[in-house]
Formats: sequence, C-alpha cells, structure tokens
Amino acid sequence: MSHATIPSGFVKSALQNGAGRYVCQLQRLTLVFCKSSGGSRGLRDFVEKHLLEFTQKNPGVVVYLQPRRHRPPKLVAEYLNGRREEIPVATHNDETICQWVNHLRTHSGNETVRLRKTWHTDTPSIQGPWTPFTNKDTRLNVTQLPSEELSRFQPTEPSATEKLLRLAEQLRAKDAVKGGGETGTPV
Amino acid sequence: MAQHRVQQWATFARMWWLYDARWQCPFQSAPVIIRHLQGLHKPIYHPLSDVGDHVVVINTEHIAMEGDLWRNWRHFHHTGYPGGFSATRVWKVHEADPTKVLHKQIYSTVKGNLLRRPIMARLHLYPDDNVPEDILKNITGQIRQLREVPKRLDEYTQDERDAFPRLFEWPADYVPNPGKKTVKS
Repeated sequence: MSHATIPSGFVKSALQNGAGRYVCQLQRLTLVFCKSSGGSRGLRDFVEKHLLEFTQKNPGVVVYLQPRRHRPPKLVAEYLNGRREEIPVATHNDETICQWVNHLRTHSGNETVRLRKTWHTDTPSIQGPWTPFTNKDTRLNVTQLPSEELSRFQPTEPSATEKLLRLAEQLRAKDAVKGGGETGTPV
Repeated sequence: MAQHRVQQWATFARMWWLYDARWQCPFQSAPVIIRHLQGLHKPIYHPLSDVGDHVVVINTEHIAMEGDLWRNWRHFHHTGYPGGFSATRVWKVHEADPTKVLHKQIYSTVKGNLLRRPIMARLHLYPDDNVPEDILKNITGQIRQLREVPKRLDEYTQDERDAFPRLFEWPADYVPNPGKKTVKS
C-alpha cells in the first residue's frame, strides 16, 4: 500500500489531556455478541469473568451488552470527540479481549495516522518567524535615506595612502623628539 | 489564525533597497544587485517562492569602468535581417542612455529563464539622484558600495595638500617630461 493512501498527521493529544487532570476519552463500550455461536465464546467468557471488575474500576464508561443472534462479535467504542471504533473479536479468547478493551479504554479516540513528524509544537520558534527587519540595526529607524554613511564602502584594511600618512605622522613625531629640523627632510 | 496571517505578511514583505552606482564597476555591481532582486540574501529563500526585493539604483551615469573598457567593451545587436548585426562602443551607448549599460549588464547576468522579466521589473534605474518621491518613500535599506569613491585633487583643501608628506621639493623651474608627444617650439 502506498503512503499516499494512509491518512497522515501530526502528534496530538485530545485537548492536552493529562497535562492537568486525566479525563477518560472512552464514553461508551458496546459488546455485540451471539449467545450460542462458537465465535462469540471468548466475548461471553469476558462478560462472565472480567466485565464486572471493568465496570467497577471505570464508572465513567457506559457499557452496553447487545446480544444478537448469529452475528459475529465485536467491540464498539464511542469517544468524547464523537468518533467510534469497532473491533471484530470473533474466535478471540477472553484474555485477548481484555487487552483490546484496555486498548480502547486508554485510547484518545483520535484516528490512528501515519506520523509525518515524531514531534509537534504549537510554538515552533520563541523568537517568532523571520521578517526583513529581524536583527536590523535600530539606527535605520531614525536614519533619513539615502544616507551617505550607509552607502559608503567599508574597507577591511587601510589603503596605501592611509599607511603613508600614518608613517609620515610617526616620522614627524620622531623628528619632534629629536629637536626638529635636524634631518632637513621636508617630510 | 489571524496572527499567523499577519506574520506571513511580515515574513514575505518586499524590501526596497537603494544602491549608489557612483564610481562603481557595473560588472561587479550586477551580481550584488541580482542577489537582492532574487531574494537570495534572505534566510527564507526558495526558488519556488517569490521573495525578491526591489532595488533602486541611482547615479548610473557616474559608473566607472576599468582600463580601456569604455572604448573596447562593445554591446552587440542583431535586427534579425541579413546584415543586421551592429556593435556599439559602450561609451557611445552610455552617452545615448546613461542607464542602459547597467541595465544590460544586470539583464545578461540574470539566468535566462521565465523569471528574468519579473526580476528585471523590480529594478529601478535612475541616471542621477533625482528619484521620484513615490519611489523614494518606499526605500527601507541601502546596499553598500563595492569600491571606495576616489577623491579628486581639487576636492582637497590647500591645507591638506600642504600637509601631505613629500620626500623632496620639486625645483621651481622644473617641467615634467610629457613623454613622446613633445611639443617643439
């Protein structure tokens, strides 16, 4: 099966369930079974051995028993978000059905999807998305454009003229220390 | 959500850049201007998204060319008819239209695909610094020049000229050798 046909989505929880308190999303569990056929044997065993304990532990879940003649047995779970899930349990034994019921009880009710990413966040960036003015110098707000200062080329190293002027400055300083005018060079 | 919609507008907002072409080389300026026209300078750049900025180039009539290129560089044209080829010296082209040299250089540097026309439409060239008010009010940034604008001798004050270091003084009656073209008196 190609990946395009499987529904895909992102990791999500039902209204951040469990961040504060936990609300069981399973609201109603309907057990459909036949009283006589062999395929429903496991489900009938489950009703006899485990159902009472399940209802005592989960008072928030409504359990319906629906005997239907010569129909394959199934578990129908209905969730807070309105979705409903059916699990056919023909020829399953009562322990397997216990596991299925536990799965339905702890399920969020959301559709099982292929995860496009293994993580999800509502705030992908604390800084916020990039805009053309991100990390711009705030001087731009008060500068009148066109500005000579912002346009001028910024050299990485001094030019030959600047080097020459600096050298002359040093020579003049040296001459001044010596007493001036001794060398006679018109530097 | 409404706030995400506004964030989208802010992220994809077009900037208007100003570039002063005075004393700048058109061959070196073109790639820098094209980078801004295509939006390649943005971290959100993607070839399929339209994120290019506008660039306003001023003082195009004061561009500079190296060496003898004003005389030797030629712009070619062919009308499509037999014998329709013509080549014009670039100084002549520049004299006829001071924005044409930079325009042709940028046009030929942009990759020749369907995006070239929309990219060129975002380029605004002006021969001097007289830019219309409605263009000027959009400008939000400035591209730095690539070369230093040289200072002419008459732009220095007399004090600055006198203070410039010299190894020796020329004699008062010294005449510099003008080379081969000596004028015989």
